[in-house]
Amino acid sequence: MNEQTSALVALVNKMPDPDQRGMYCADIDKEKIEGAIAKILKGGRDNIIGVIDMLVEPGKGDDVKAHYALHCLALHVCKLKGERRRRRFARSLASQTGGDRPKEVQKYLVRELQIAGGREVVEELGELLVDEELCEPAAQALAAIGDGAAEQLRRALRRARGKRRLTIVQNLGVVRDAKSVGALKRAVSDEDGEVRIAAAWALANIGDAGSADLLLRAAEKADGWERIQATKACLLLAEKLRAAGKKSEAVRIYRHLRDTRTDPAERYVCDAAKIGLAAAD
Amino acid sequence: MQKSKRVTRRQFLKSSLGAAAAFTIVPRHVLGGPGQTPPSETFGGALIGCGGRGNGTFNGLGPNVEKLAICDVKFVKHADNKKVYKDFRRVLERKDIDVVAIATPPHWHALISIAAMEAGKDVLCEKPMTRFIAEGRAVAEAEKRYNRIFQVGTYGRFGRSQNQGDILTHKIMKSGLLKPCKAVHIKPGGLKVREWSGIVNAKPQPIPESLDWDMYCGPSPLRPYHPHRFGGTHRGYWDYEGGGLTDMGQHHFDPVQWTFAKDDTSPVEIEAFAPPAHPEACGMWGWVELKYADGLTFVMDSHEWPVDKKPSYNRKESRGVSLSDLSEEDQKKIKEMPDPEPLVGFPEAIRTRKQAGGHAAAAHRCVTLMHLANIAIRTGRKIRYDPVKEQIIGDEEANRLVNIPMRAPWHL
Repeated sequence: MNEQTSALVALVNKMPDPDQRGMYCADIDKEKIEGAIAKILKGGRDNIIGVIDMLVEPGKGDDVKAHYALHCLALHVCKLKGERRRRRFARSLASQTGGDRPKEVQKYLVRELQIAGGREVVEELGELLVDEELCEPAAQALAAIGDGAAEQLRRALRRARGKRRLTIVQNLGVVRDAKSVGALKRAVSDEDGEVRIAAAWALANIGDAGSADLLLRAAEKADGWERIQATKACLLLAEKLRAAGKKSEAVRIYRHLRDTRTDPAERYVCDAAKIGLAAAD
Repeated sequence: MQKSKRVTRRQFLKSSLGAAAAFTIVPRHVLGGPGQTPPSETFGGALIGCGGRGNGTFNGLGPNVEKLAICDVKFVKHADNKKVYKDFRRVLERKDIDVVAIATPPHWHALISIAAMEAGKDVLCEKPMTRFIAEGRAVAEAEKRYNRIFQVGTYGRFGRSQNQGDILTHKIMKSGLLKPCKAVHIKPGGLKVREWSGIVNAKPQPIPESLDWDMYCGPSPLRPYHPHRFGGTHRGYWDYEGGGLTDMGQHHFDPVQWTFAKDDTSPVEIEAFAPPAHPEACGMWGWVELKYADGLTFVMDSHEWPVDKKPSYNRKESRGVSLSDLSEEDQKKIKEMPDPEPLVGFPEAIRTRKQAGGHAAAAHRCVTLMHLANIAIRTGRKIRYDPVKEQIIGDEEANRLVNIPMRAPWHL
């Protein structure tokens, strides 16, 4: 162990020990922790990678202190004035994803990027969208970061299948990517029911006026849970259109639901449409 | 020869109809007219989440609710999709269920509440109402969109709203005449910080065969299974709740929020004293100050950290509101104000279609207090909050905790 490594180990060891219950409830010294974290950060990228090197898969060793230290570093860089050190921290973490490190360790790095990452790491996160295990946390991190996320998700959708496809469709809705409307419209008739629901919701959340008829038709022919969710998408789209000043398109959706949901079991949908119509007037 | 026991057709129909009336729940939407009040005033109910709070929450639905379905992710071996379910979506598809009691862990509260209202059901949801701020707004929007009844499972405000001292404070605060407001409300201890902390060195364990762990994790990250993440102790993890603060906070602050007439707004400045938080496990904190735009301040003082300095909070003292804080002219205005309308309980609300006393918009503002406090604890930064846009100002990373992305297929 060289001098720098042993100094880093000593700093990481200043993190608290779990108590008898395995919790951080005793002997939690705020100043001691924050002092050690500031010193680790002064060591720059080498120290950040050094802490990452101490991480192990859950159940495969004791990395409690390194695990906590890395999160404290993420919190610390977000407190500092200026973006330089936060960006450097985020780039260091991102550089350790996509390689041979255990997937659970990489998931943890991605979750820390969800906290402290920004525009500077969206490409690395985008590359993880092809990975079965890392797609979900990467998509969530991208959605949280927002800036630059849509392009990564859009690109990944082309080759995504199964659960990854569902995740990406949903998150295109979260980031409200208007450029994905065409692909999302196609996904409304996907063979996977969950993808259909996610795509309908995504189009509604984007507020795409051109999707109104498609969503109304989808809701019309669906049953059970899917019908409930497809109807929600119609009402959500109407609200988005109303808020965007596209009143006539919103009114058309509301009127359709008011006039077609005549079964007593769906009277509440008819009533919801009437509420929407009244608000649109 | 044995005497015939032949039953006439008239006798058969009479007894069958009697039995049907006794045992068949006719859905409210079939019998009810405008407002869907059922002539029979009998409701079909479901309980989703059958842990420690399950039956207590279901009983809050009122006396005229028959339990037609129970649902829990731990019913993998028992689910028959007739009375016992493991997937709440199948319960919500049923047209004979009018009201739903939700007693799952809090990471499911908002999603199931919203889904239930989307399916036309009224909802009684256990506290805390949500896991993060954006969920609460989405529940309130669903309540409004579908014109459903929602009540959060805490009832302190019902008592407060009948107390003359609280009514006076409510009227003073509601009037907006007290500017600035110097009142300080301190909650000293009782927030179960140590009790509901999480384990930081948990070793993964095999998933019990009776449990659908993926469904349990739901919108939260799919973690390796550990029993401490399940069955009550889930409170100690950010994935599912927010420690003792969110577990107990809504009980304490819901009535206080009513007294101070803050059902439609939130604090603008939040500051916490706490060590750096753990990424997954809830842990120790000292105090949190939450200040509203008019100056009213709420304080959460844990009395549990730092361990050797109790109580840790000494920045402000409790101070109430009184008529003497106002000019004589303003005092007269307060005395002329009518008392607030009595709050409506859930059983009455579902019959009359009047808004419940602990409705979604108010409950959302209350649990937002705990979420803002936890964001200040988790980030270690002083937070400025826009109560209209419901976003943190000038801190993009802290704002990510206001609306946390969910695992597909779950979304707001």
